[in-house]
Amino acid sequence: MSATNTRSARPSVSRRRLLRRLEPYLLLLPALVIVLAFFAYPVLKAVQLSFMHYVLFEPQNIAYSGFANFKALFADPVMPRILFNSLVWVVATVGLQFVLGFALALALNKKFRGKNGLQAVVFLPWAVSAFLIGMIFKWMFNQQNGLINHLLMGLGLIDRPVAFLAIPHTSIIPVIIAMIWYGVPFFGIMILAALQSVPHEIHEAADIDGAGRVRQLFQITIPYIKPTLVLTVLLRVIWVFNSADLIYIMTGGGPANTSDNLPSYIFNKVGYTTDFGQASALGVLMLVVLTLYTIVFLRITKYREAGEI
Amino acid sequence: MRLFLRRKMPGLVRFVVLGLFLIGTLLPFCWMFVTSLKSRREIYGSTLTLWPKDLTWANYAETFRTSNFPQYFANSLIVSLISGALVLVVSILGGYSLARYRFKGKGVLMLVFLATQMVPVMVMLVPLFIVFGNLHLLNTLSSLIITYTAINIPFCLITMSGFFQRIPVALEEAAMIDGCNRMMTVVRIILPIMLPGIVATFVFAFTAAWNDLFFGVMFTTSESVKTVPVGLNSYVQKFDVNWGEMSAGGVLSLLPVVVLFTFIQRYIVSGLSQGAVKG
Repeated sequence: MSATNTRSARPSVSRRRLLRRLEPYLLLLPALVIVLAFFAYPVLKAVQLSFMHYVLFEPQNIAYSGFANFKALFADPVMPRILFNSLVWVVATVGLQFVLGFALALALNKKFRGKNGLQAVVFLPWAVSAFLIGMIFKWMFNQQNGLINHLLMGLGLIDRPVAFLAIPHTSIIPVIIAMIWYGVPFFGIMILAALQSVPHEIHEAADIDGAGRVRQLFQITIPYIKPTLVLTVLLRVIWVFNSADLIYIMTGGGPANTSDNLPSYIFNKVGYTTDFGQASALGVLMLVVLTLYTIVFLRITKYREAGEI
Repeated sequence: MRLFLRRKMPGLVRFVVLGLFLIGTLLPFCWMFVTSLKSRREIYGSTLTLWPKDLTWANYAETFRTSNFPQYFANSLIVSLISGALVLVVSILGGYSLARYRFKGKGVLMLVFLATQMVPVMVMLVPLFIVFGNLHLLNTLSSLIITYTAINIPFCLITMSGFFQRIPVALEEAAMIDGCNRMMTVVRIILPIMLPGIVATFVFAFTAAWNDLFFGVMFTTSESVKTVPVGLNSYVQKFDVNWGEMSAGGVLSLLPVVVLFTFIQRYIVSGLSQGAVKG
C-alpha cells in the first residue's frame, strides 16, 4: 500500500483521500472474492480435472491422462443423442416459453380489477422448486391413474393408458412440456416489466395516426423493448441449456439415456460412475458450446450494449 | 359490428387468454392438492376420481410421522434465511459501489458478474465437492449456506445496483449537506426507500436456496442436514413413490414460498420495469 509514501505532508487528509479512492473497490471486495472462489476456481479446476483420470472410488489411481477423457466422450455411442436432445430441449423450451410468456405479458399489460391476485397466481410456478414441479408432472404423466392419460382417454385420443415417461426417444417430450410450463412466468415477468417501460405517448400518437393494434405491436412495441427481449432470451437459453433438474426427476435420463441432455448426463456420470474426469470433460464441452453460442448470438443480434447493462 | 370488434374484441381476447393461463397454472397445483387428500386405496384404485370420495388428511399426518419432514423443513429454513441475509449484505455493498462510484475497471467487473451466469452448476459441482471434502465441510449445512450465498450473489448484486440507480443522487447529496456522512445517509435514508427492492432481492436469494436440488444431493448424505427437496428426493429414490404422501409433502413445502411470493411479486415487476435489470 502506498499509504506510507503519501503520509509526508498532511497525513490524515491524503490517507482519507486514498481511502475514498479505494472505497468502491472495498465495497465490491466481498463479492469479488466470492466470485473468484466459486466461479473462477471451479472452472479452472474443472479444466484441470478434464485432463486427469479421476475416479472417486479409485483414489490411488489419480493422474494426468492427456486427452483420454475427451477421446472417450467422442467415442461414446450415446453422445449424438444427448447433443441432439440438448438442442431440442433448448429450442422447443425457450421458443414456446417466449411465445406464451409474450402472450401472458400482453394480456396483463393493462389495469383491471383483480389484476394483482391474478398476476400472483400465474407467476407462481417461477417460485416453486423444480423438484416439486418435476414430481407433479411425473404424477400427471403417470401410466396408472395419471391425469393426462385420463383426459386423453376421455377425449378418445388413446385407447389405453400410455407410459409416456418410459418410451425410448420420446420420453423427453413430457419433460419439455413441464419445462415450458415452468418457465412461462419468467418470460411473462421480464416482458411485462419491459412493456410497462414503453411510454404511453408513443401509442397515443400512433392511435391518432390510425395504426392498428397489431401494427403498433410489431412496429412500435417490439422494436422499443428489443434490448430487453434480446437479453432475456440470451440469459434464458443459457439457463435452460444448463438445466437438468426436471429430466433428472421425471425420467432420470432414461430409458437408456435417451432423454438425457448434457447436464443431466453429467449428473448421472457423477452419481453412478463417480468418474469426475469425464464429467469435467463434459462440463468443459458445455462451457465451450456456451461461449460460442454467446459470441454468435451477440454478433447476429448486433447487441453491443449487452456487455454494458 | 366493426365497431363492436374494435371496441370489445381486445377485452374479450384478454379475458380468454388470461382465463386459459389461470387454468393452466392452477391445474397441476390443484391436482397435487387433490391427490394429497385421497386415501392410498383411492389413489391406486381402478378408476381415477377427480375429487376425493372420502376426503382424508392422513397423508399429512403420515408425512410428518414416517419421513423426517420437520427436520428437512427446519434445515431448508435455516439455510435459506442465512444465505439470503448474507447475499443481501454483500449485494447491497457491491451494488452501491457499482451504482454510485466511477472507477477504473467497472465495465470489466460488470462483465465478470454477468459471465458468472454462464457457468453451469454441473461444472461447479465436482470442484466444490472436492474443496468441501478437503475442508471437512461435506455433509454440513455450512457447505450449503456458503454455496447458495456464492452462486446467488452476482445476479442479486446486479439487480441491487439497478435499484440504487433508481434513487436520485440529489437525495443523497441533500442529506450529506445536512451533515450526514455517506454511511449514515445510505443506512438512514436510501435503504428505507429501497425496501421493496431489498425485499425482492432477499426473496430471490431465499427461493433459489429453498429450491436447489443438485448441490444438496451432492453435498449432504445424513438425514439431519438434508433440505426439503433433497430429503423428499432421497425418500422417493429409496421407497416406491407414495403419491399421496409425496403430494402432502409438496403442499407443505410450497407454503412458505407461496406466502413470500404473493407478498412480493408486485415489487418484482415494478422494480424490473423501472430499470433494475437494464440498470
